Amino acid sequence: MKGLAPLFLGIFGTFAFSWVGLTVIPNWQIGHLNPQSDEEGTDVYPMPQSGMVQQGARVYAANGCIYCHSEQVRADYAGADIERKWGDRRSAPRDYIFERPVFLGKMRMGQDIANIGARAPKEEESPSPAPVSSPAAAPAAASGAAAPKAPVNPAPAASSSSPAPKATAVAAKSTGIASPSPGAPTAAAASPGAPPSAGPPWPEQTLGLPPMYSAAWHHVHLYSPRSINFDSNMPSYRFLYQSRRISDARSSDALPLTGSDAPPEGWEIVPTYDAKCLVAYMMALNQSHPLKDVKSVGAQAGAPPATSPAPGGKPPK
Amino acid sequence: MNPAGIPLKEPSVSAAAGDTEQFERALIDASTRVPVLIFYTSAVGWLILGTLLAGFVSFKLHSPDLLSDISFLTWGRVRPAHMNVMVYGWASMAGLGTAIWLMARLCRTVLRYPLLLVAGAGFWNLGVFLGVCGILMGDSTGYQWLEFPSYSAIILFVAYTLVASWAVLMFRFRRGEQIYISQWYLLAAFLWFPWLYAAGQLMLFVVPVQGVLQAAVSWWYANNLLFLWFGAIGLGTAYYMIPKVIGRPVYSYHLATIGFWSYALFSSWTGMQRLVDGPFPAWMVTASIAATILTLIPVATVGLNHHMTMQGYFPLMRYSPTLRFTVFGAMAYTVFSLVGVLISLRSVARYVNFTQASIAYSHLGLYAFFTMVIFGSMYYIVPRLIGREWRYASLIKLHFWASAYGIGLMTLMLLAGGFTQGASMENPSLAFSESVESVLPYLRGRSLSGILLTVSHFIFAYHFGLMLFGLGRKSTVPTFLNPVEAEGAEVAH
Repeated sequence: MKGLAPLFLGIFGTFAFSWVGLTVIPNWQIGHLNPQSDEEGTDVYPMPQSGMVQQGARVYAANGCIYCHSEQVRADYAGADIERKWGDRRSAPRDYIFERPVFLGKMRMGQDIANIGARAPKEEESPSPAPVSSPAAAPAAASGAAAPKAPVNPAPAASSSSPAPKATAVAAKSTGIASPSPGAPTAAAASPGAPPSAGPPWPEQTLGLPPMYSAAWHHVHLYSPRSINFDSNMPSYRFLYQSRRISDARSSDALPLTGSDAPPEGWEIVPTYDAKCLVAYMMALNQSHPLKDVKSVGAQAGAPPATSPAPGGKPPK
Repeated sequence: MNPAGIPLKEPSVSAAAGDTEQFERALIDASTRVPVLIFYTSAVGWLILGTLLAGFVSFKLHSPDLLSDISFLTWGRVRPAHMNVMVYGWASMAGLGTAIWLMARLCRTVLRYPLLLVAGAGFWNLGVFLGVCGILMGDSTGYQWLEFPSYSAIILFVAYTLVASWAVLMFRFRRGEQIYISQWYLLAAFLWFPWLYAAGQLMLFVVPVQGVLQAAVSWWYANNLLFLWFGAIGLGTAYYMIPKVIGRPVYSYHLATIGFWSYALFSSWTGMQRLVDGPFPAWMVTASIAATILTLIPVATVGLNHHMTMQGYFPLMRYSPTLRFTVFGAMAYTVFSLVGVLISLRSVARYVNFTQASIAYSHLGLYAFFTMVIFGSMYYIVPRLIGREWRYASLIKLHFWASAYGIGLMTLMLLAGGFTQGASMENPSLAFSESVESVLPYLRGRSLSGILLTVSHFIFAYHFGLMLFGLGRKSTVPTFLNPVEAEGAEVAH
């Protein structure tokens, strides 16, 4: 080929075509979404997050959590995400409008955690600005006694032996939010509107440990994943915790560790500020709020029926 | 027929025009010596570091307690460190070294303004070094392939500007009307990279887009970096090396033109298929799936072109290290694209979306295709810069086979592991942890392949070091992989 101009124009043109097509037009289509609210302008979702949660997102990025965990729930026709109780509706662009960076993720060496905060036992729910007021939440709470469906074996042999009930109580209290009653009946109401027969596939109470997916549980899990799930291949994040001598009384933050993880007598393991932020971030991950343009699985339980396809962004399928 | 009669070194030089042309070439090669060697040496250093990090990452994935108490050695930091060292340290610097040398050769002029390049290499090294330290210290941005914190990104951009302005200057000094096909690819790569990098940085950090679009921009960037930067340099290099070594012009210029423009048009639209079924408008994903399928056009034309050029000359791969590596890379490009089409089809993507299969894909592109082509070009270029031939044919052979088996095994393990993992993940009657367990044996196999690749890279670095210290062979005959016998030569013609 002769002449530089056509070559240069072609090189520039193909690039610009792709840039406009794959970033500019989508930005025009779904790049300026607002939170939704009901007719009175209340029940706003999503809401901006607290500073601690944002700091937690930075800890999440710094330690590369995104390389194993995704934060997106696919529609029921596209995958088993909803059947695995990772959420009760698919994720939509609107769920992420306040997230920066956004951690959609690309790999599931670990579970999807788009709704990990929603899976927490009810009284531990994250201190989100808008308390859960969805009409679907109430009936679901009654289904608390439902037994786990899938046979998961989370009970590690090691942890069942020593832990005193006292340790559990301390742990639950350490979240600072809620009444320390890690009883079973409250633990399962993670998914509003779930059919009463199908409880979540995780156990409500792990023996001798804080309630599953509570803040205290996350700390123990981050510190020593294999003490909770023997098969886990998550690395431990001990560097986010510090070991210190108990001065007069055991700190309320101290991790209820047992077995080989337990600190020596007179010492305790407490989370650093980064660890607290990270857990606050996880507790705030919650897409259980219904969106007008996305169908929830439990729609029949009281959520508004979603019929209209999204104005922007939802493939009508 | 004597070995020197086999057209492995400077084949296109006919006896008549030979002397002046050869003299000119020697001058050009000499002028590129310092900058290109700086780029190559840095690249090999990063390659070794990246390899060590990779081994660490690979083992930690199935043995998570290995050294996990130290914050900067946690898996989630070492993994992006490895990725960025390989992408920006090894692949980009080695690719730039080759591209610089090719530009000088193809512009048929001695390299001017070498200081621009030396400064560029220095800043580039500094940028990568700061970036990797930043990631390990916990400063990662969290966007794939753009993890380098901003202080490193700015330095990289400055470094790149120096190199790109050099390329533009060189182009103005070029002699001859004809712009060879390799130059299209190289010029395009030199221009695409800064646009891409600037667009990615701007839309993610300077004026960040909202919500999920950040993920779209990040994948658009990562995918185009693979195609428009590494892919373009790799294809341009292959278009030079294959005809050069066998001493035969490219089979068809029309095919090359079609291949180039369809490549530029279609491959730049891929990338969104990795967001399949995510919270995005469906048309974005569909457009990228369609574009991925359409990349079969450039694959077919480029593959056909290389194949027809090589037709009848395949036995030369027995002798020429450059040819062996380059043809392996060119074939891997086809495999890479076919796998890319396979795992982007909606029905398949559903299974492999969140699995190790995507790691297999990026290793196919960045290693089996790009890195192998670059290895080939280094085996061709380094002797011409130093004036010595590679010392041990046996080391080159070892390097080739360890690399070829290593990357082959890795790809198979990750693909098979990915499909297994996906199948058990999509089966809700299996606990999630079983999907992780199902992939672990494959990950152990992948670690095995990592050992092979580590061996191959250390061999190469050692051999390269020998060359650098002037310990190569003094000879006018290039180092053949096998002793050249008369029969081989007959077959070749």
